[in-house]
Parts: sequence; structure tokens; C-alpha cells
Amino acid sequence: MERRAFLKAAMASTVAAATMKPGRLSAGWFQADSLQVWSCGGLAEAMNPANRIYEQKTGIKIQYTGAFAAALGKSLQGSAVTDVFAGRVLKLAKSLKAAKKMIYFRPLCFTEYVLITPPGNPAGIKSVEDLARPGVPVILPLGASPPGGDAVMGILKKAKIDQAVLKNAIRMETCVIKMMPAIIAGEGKASIVERRLTRMVRYEGKVDVIPIPETLFPPGPLTFTIGVMKYAKDRPLADDYVQFMCSDEVQAIFERQGFIPAASEKGRMLIEKLGVKDV
Amino acid sequence: MSESDVKLKVRNILPWIRRATQAGMLAVLGQWSFYGIFRCPFLVPFVDCQNCPVITCWGRITTLFWGFWLFLPLSAILFGRAFCGWLCPGGLVNQMIGKIAIFKLRTRNPLLKIAPLGLGVGLAVALFLWLGYHNPRSMVPIRVGEFWSAIRLSFEHASPFWLTRTFVVLGLVAAGLIVANLWCRFACPTGGLMELVRRIALFRVFKTSACNDCNACLRVCEMGTRPDEVNCTNCGDCLKICPVDAIQFGRKTK
Repeated sequence: MERRAFLKAAMASTVAAATMKPGRLSAGWFQADSLQVWSCGGLAEAMNPANRIYEQKTGIKIQYTGAFAAALGKSLQGSAVTDVFAGRVLKLAKSLKAAKKMIYFRPLCFTEYVLITPPGNPAGIKSVEDLARPGVPVILPLGASPPGGDAVMGILKKAKIDQAVLKNAIRMETCVIKMMPAIIAGEGKASIVERRLTRMVRYEGKVDVIPIPETLFPPGPLTFTIGVMKYAKDRPLADDYVQFMCSDEVQAIFERQGFIPAASEKGRMLIEKLGVKDV
Repeated sequence: MSESDVKLKVRNILPWIRRATQAGMLAVLGQWSFYGIFRCPFLVPFVDCQNCPVITCWGRITTLFWGFWLFLPLSAILFGRAFCGWLCPGGLVNQMIGKIAIFKLRTRNPLLKIAPLGLGVGLAVALFLWLGYHNPRSMVPIRVGEFWSAIRLSFEHASPFWLTRTFVVLGLVAAGLIVANLWCRFACPTGGLMELVRRIALFRVFKTSACNDCNACLRVCEMGTRPDEVNCTNCGDCLKICPVDAIQFGRKTK
């Protein structure tokens, strides 16, 4: 082989290898090779597959921490730092922004509440009001950390059936995930959870799901936002990640996991209704 | 080589086999054990893994949880409390701490006779919290996250109940620096459970009628006991030490 041909082949191979290895070239666009992402409020099941796709596409390592309830948000309001934060409750994003800890945020997705019953709905539950029927054993996650238990209580109060339902409660659970098997087994004939719970691999198809009218939802816990923190070591990378999480590809993952994507028609309606705007 | 030479050789290498087994089990069960103490959101760890929100714990994402609770009774039927001496990662940690403990307490006195009742107390407390109190979630679980930063966040967001249980457990393990193997000998709920059923074991380390009560076995035992007595984990460390060869392993015939 001639030297010129050899050099051409070597150059072509190098370019090909760099292109074929996922993210090798795109990783070079950013200064950092990793991004610290925090989320709270139950996003982990959707964030995990989305992060894997981002890592494959860019070669950037996502150092992801996800917590149940708004734990990480509270930490960020203190002294904790991260590059990107996807948090629950609009007020949290606004307070982080007001404290100048968050540079900006965007609507990510919304959650919704549903009634769940054991398969076959043995108590014939059709609406929230049926939870108040005398003798219907219900299990409520009222001991779950905010906004879990508070949101369920808010729904019952709005429906003006809270006291009657509390009389039917055979157990107050501290964890919604731990509560699900008791409903599946028929120990409790109904409960109220977020739809995302019914989409978890271990519970999907194992309970009957009945919608609850949106008018009963407390607005606070419905909203999830994603924002770039002032601590972001590589701002273009953090912006790119946020853009990716709001893309159609990832929003479809959120929908599959039981969330209402911000990019959907219903999501856009909720953005307006709940005022999810970074102003 | 005579049969007694082979026996002696086996007994000499047995402690090394045990340590290697413990190291292997540390690799298998270690992550789950440490999650149980530091990141499990429930008051009693290792019993609600199938319904746990912490989705990176091995007990949750593998069949380790079911495998462990099926294996434990089987190990008790075969070898009594051998899990504590051969397989438990926590046991290994306690034994290593015990090596530098101030008091080994490898002696016999009335106090040490009743102290193992603490195992029963530990078991009773765990059963009450688990079955009677529905094992409440008392810490905001860090569901996904890097190990050490997640541990820091766990402590930051835990309730006083969770902090109490965790500091009690860690405190008792740390007290192993003063009294060797304090947690395993006098407090561990799993040890208490195993202690209750250890007499059903088919195979065990036991004393024969040749025993002259010299207590040489007691003086080498990490658990400060004698073969087939309370806290004996069938570890086999005493097999080579008996001056009258009165310690055997196998089926004990009356």
C-alpha cells in the first residue's frame, strides 16, 4: 500500500471510529464530560431511560439522583448544589429562581390522580364519592411525605367526603409504592394514587384504574419543571440536556410512565391554566 | 497421609475457607446490607424490598430478596446459625472490628449468660415494628443516586425514628470496639431469629463426652461461646483447638 493511501485509510478509520462510538464527537462540543442532575417527586422511572438515551447520544455521563417527595428541592434551598434540577410543585421552582439559585426553568410534565381498585373492582367503585359509601374498605397514603398524603386529602376535601372516607380507612400508609400490593391483593377495595404508580412495571395491569375529575385536583403538586441551576459547570451542556428532556422523544417516555407531557395538547392547556411560566 | 493428618489439615485451613466465603458473600450481599442500614427508608430493613421505592438497591432490582429469605431457613435446617458465622456481611464487619476490641469477653459468667437475651429483644422490636406497626417509611428515600451523596441526603431527610434506629444500630456495631462482636452476640434481630431455630440443624459443631471443660474453645471463639451452645455459629474455629479432640462436626447423636 502506498503511503498516501495508507494515510487516507487511517484518517477515514479514525473519523469512522469516532462517529460510530456513540457521542464521541458530540461530547467534544461541551467542556464537561458529565452532568449532575437531580429530580424529585416521582420522576425516576421516566428520567432513568431518558438519561440512558442522552448518554448514548452524547457520551456525556449523567450523574443522576432522584428522590421521593421534594427532598432534593429542600436541600437545594439550603446549601446543596447541582447542575440541573427537575422538581415538583411550581412554587419550588419559582422560589429557587427568586433566590437566584436557578437560572431558568421550563415546564416538564404534569401528574394526575386516579382511583385504583383490585382487579375486577369488587366494590363497584365508579367515582370518588363511592369511597364514602359505608363499609367500603379503603387504604389511603395519608402518611406519605408531602405532597403525597396532602394531595389525596385535598381531593377528598374538595369532594366534601373527607370525614366519611376517613371512617372507611382501614389503614393509613406511609408509602404509596408499599401500599399498592395491599390494593392488588384486595385488602383495600380502593385508593387514590397518581397515574404514574399504575404504570410502574411491577404494578401495570394489576389494578383497575378509574379517572378522577380534574376539578378535584389540588393544583400545587400537579406540575413538574426542569431548570438549569446557577451552579451548572457547563451551561451549554445543561441547556442541551433540558432541551433534550423537553423533546418529543423524551416527552413520549414521560407519557408512557403515566405523566402528562408538557409538550402535549393537554400539557399546553395545563401550562396556561396553572401559569407554569418562568416570568 | 493418615486420616487424622487429613483431618488436621482440613481443620487448619477451615478458618481461611471461612474468611474466603465471607469475602465472597460480602461481594454478593454487601451492597444490599449497606443499603439496608443507610438507604432503606423503612424502619426494619430487608423485609419490604419487593415494595421499596429505592430502585437501585440490589435487594429491590434482583431476586436477592426472595432468594435470601428462602435460603435462610434452608441454611438453618442444614447448619443452624452458620449464616452468622459464614455468610453475613454484617457478621464479617463485626468480627473484623472485634479483632481490635478492648474486651473480648471470652469467659463464662452470669452476666454473659443472660446478655444473649438481647438477641430476643432485638427480634421482638423488629417484629413489632414490621408486623405490628406496618414497618412505616420514615425517611424520604433517595431512589436513585451515587452511594455516598445519597447516604448524606438520606440522613438529611430522615425522621427522628429512622435516625434513632440507624444510630442505635451503628452505635451497637461501633460498641464492638469495646466488647467484641457486641451486635452479633447481644442485639442482632436476625441472629435472634437464627438462635431460636438453630437446634433444628442437621449438621453442627458439637462437644463429645470427652470434653473436660477446659474452655480452650471458648478462648478462641469470636462469639465468646462453646460448641453447640447459645451464640455458636458453627464457624469451626474451635475444631483444631481442643486438646482432647472432643469437638466434632457432623450429625450429633445422643
